Amino acid sequence: MTSAAKLRAVALPVVAAALVSGVLGVQIANGGGDFTPARSASPCAHRAVTSVSTGIEGLTEQLVLLGLDGAACRLHVTREALALDLAQSRTPTDAQVDALRAGLLEAVDRLKAEGRLPPASTLTDEALDSADLNSFVKAAIRALPDSLINSVLKTDDVLRRTINGLDLRSLLANLNDPDQLSQQINATVTKAVKDALVARLRDLL
Amino acid sequence: MRSMDTRDLRSEDVRVRRAAVPLLALTVGFVLADSAIVTLALPEILRRLGGTVPQAAWVLIAFNLVLALVVVPAAWVCGHRDPVPLCAAGIAVFAGASSACALAGSMPVLIAARCVQALGGAFALVGCLELLVATIGERRGIACWIAAGVIGTAVGPVAGGLLTETISWQAVFVVQVPVAVLAVPAALTVGGGAADRGAARRGAVQRADMQRPAVAPNVSLVLLSAALTAALFLLVLLLVEGWRRSPAIAALAVSVVPVAAFVATPVARRARAAPRAEIAAGCLLVAGGLAALALLPSAQLAWTIAPQALIGLGLGLSLDRLTVDALRDRSPRVMHAGWTIGARHAGVVLGLAILTPVFTADLRNAQVPAQEAITALVLDAPLPADDKIALARGLSDQLTKEHGRVPDLHPAFARLQLAPAERPAADQLERDLNAQLERAATQAFHDSFLIAAGLALIALVPMLPLRRRVTT
Repeated sequence: MTSAAKLRAVALPVVAAALVSGVLGVQIANGGGDFTPARSASPCAHRAVTSVSTGIEGLTEQLVLLGLDGAACRLHVTREALALDLAQSRTPTDAQVDALRAGLLEAVDRLKAEGRLPPASTLTDEALDSADLNSFVKAAIRALPDSLINSVLKTDDVLRRTINGLDLRSLLANLNDPDQLSQQINATVTKAVKDALVARLRDLL
Repeated sequence: MRSMDTRDLRSEDVRVRRAAVPLLALTVGFVLADSAIVTLALPEILRRLGGTVPQAAWVLIAFNLVLALVVVPAAWVCGHRDPVPLCAAGIAVFAGASSACALAGSMPVLIAARCVQALGGAFALVGCLELLVATIGERRGIACWIAAGVIGTAVGPVAGGLLTETISWQAVFVVQVPVAVLAVPAALTVGGGAADRGAARRGAVQRADMQRPAVAPNVSLVLLSAALTAALFLLVLLLVEGWRRSPAIAALAVSVVPVAAFVATPVARRARAAPRAEIAAGCLLVAGGLAALALLPSAQLAWTIAPQALIGLGLGLSLDRLTVDALRDRSPRVMHAGWTIGARHAGVVLGLAILTPVFTADLRNAQVPAQEAITALVLDAPLPADDKIALARGLSDQLTKEHGRVPDLHPAFARLQLAPAERPAADQLERDLNAQLERAATQAFHDSFLIAAGLALIALVPMLPLRRRVTT
């Protein structure tokens, strides 16, 4: 075989290999191979949680997000896997319910520690709007000065009582029924406020 | 007067033959395009006729399997009987079965019609080779037959996609009918003159020793066709089902393959490369292009162009060279042509058989990371909690409705009743969610493309010049 023939025999495969290397090189340099779905963050790591909503809705959202993280961390699953599991399964396990409650209580502690729990007076009006109370009672409570409300009702105390009083199993079952959901939460919050007031009065007496 | 009539008749005969050659070549192109022409129509067929992705794959597998099994016996029959009526009958059966495909109301009927289509197609393919050779000579006839096959293979998915988008999936089959109907009289007309030469040749065939098929190029054809199946079938599925591009856009995108294939042959001839060098370069390019498809950096169509160009160049360099290699100095020609067609379609079946379970399993496995990525984005979205819950409900409905396929998330967003100020955040979230779905779909095809690249590399092995041990 002449050198020209040898060159002709290898030239085209060499050019092909160079073209392939060039294309693969450009693709890998631009993230080829890393184009995969985002991985879930560790639920045990600190996550900055915010909400675009204000008032009770904003506070609830932050608590739920932090609570999910805490529960997922306890169960050794991702926050997303737990959320999907809770949304898809009709009967959450006892471990899931217990972890969720513990996560929510932990979330209250974290928000309190970070000074992000609003005083009770800022939530009173909103809470009264949806509370199942006599209009005279609502008017009377609205007339109370903020300082009195804040001294009588501690937000973290009310939240803890609410979380402990919530039937999380039926709450999860009602996720697809917003009316039933808010009815259940309102009843639990109202009871938590009453219990907090009774406890406060008992302390004063 | 009589001599003038004879001259007129001869010139009329030449005109008829000239018109018949493109029709026969077109028939070859259509039959070979049929192995991939339905690829872009498959998602639409799935939607209209119902069924699963593996069932849809059988629309492709059935045609290629029957063609692979029948084409060699068909070639034997054409080699020992008059190929003219066999070819005409094959084209007629192909046309009839194409009509049946268009009228099919269920997946089993469509698959059955595809089997009959392949049966007719097998006789049409080998018969057309004999008629083309008899009409325009051995060298030009074989070259025309091979070129029509390569063009058909490369153009098939593009044509199928455009027809599906502009008309309907049925149009993919209907468009073949008039060409095939015209090709039947063309075959009979050409055959009338070619019959004498055919009879003489058949005598020669019967006398000649039947040579064994060329193993190395046919094995390479099997493996390369299996790899090319991935290029055409999987890429189209990724574009239409994974990235949710329309069949027309997908068709335009995959048109890079035929364009590059057209460019490859003249470039190689100008380089005056040795045939084996062309085959080696072709296999390397197809393997490299498939590996590049496995490593896409994003879901932008532009990123598929260079890998497809590599595949198209590889296809243009290797497919016709391997076919020529398998046919060179082999007798009877029609039998060896049958072996090459059988090898190519067996390769398509092999590719689908290997890759379909891999990518369907990977698509199933991609659902969990995709759902988790979507959940994370919805949970952290800067939207009011009520909207997030409503959106999650809508997304869940969409996922259920799509039965495990990559869902269209837009209806869930369209149903949301948002304040104007919240709309930009919702739009951004929709874009982010779609990006996660595209990432999951792309990742699901990763292994299949790499396996196909491996098949293209293995196709090189039979063509390597191995030194034979000389015993003294």
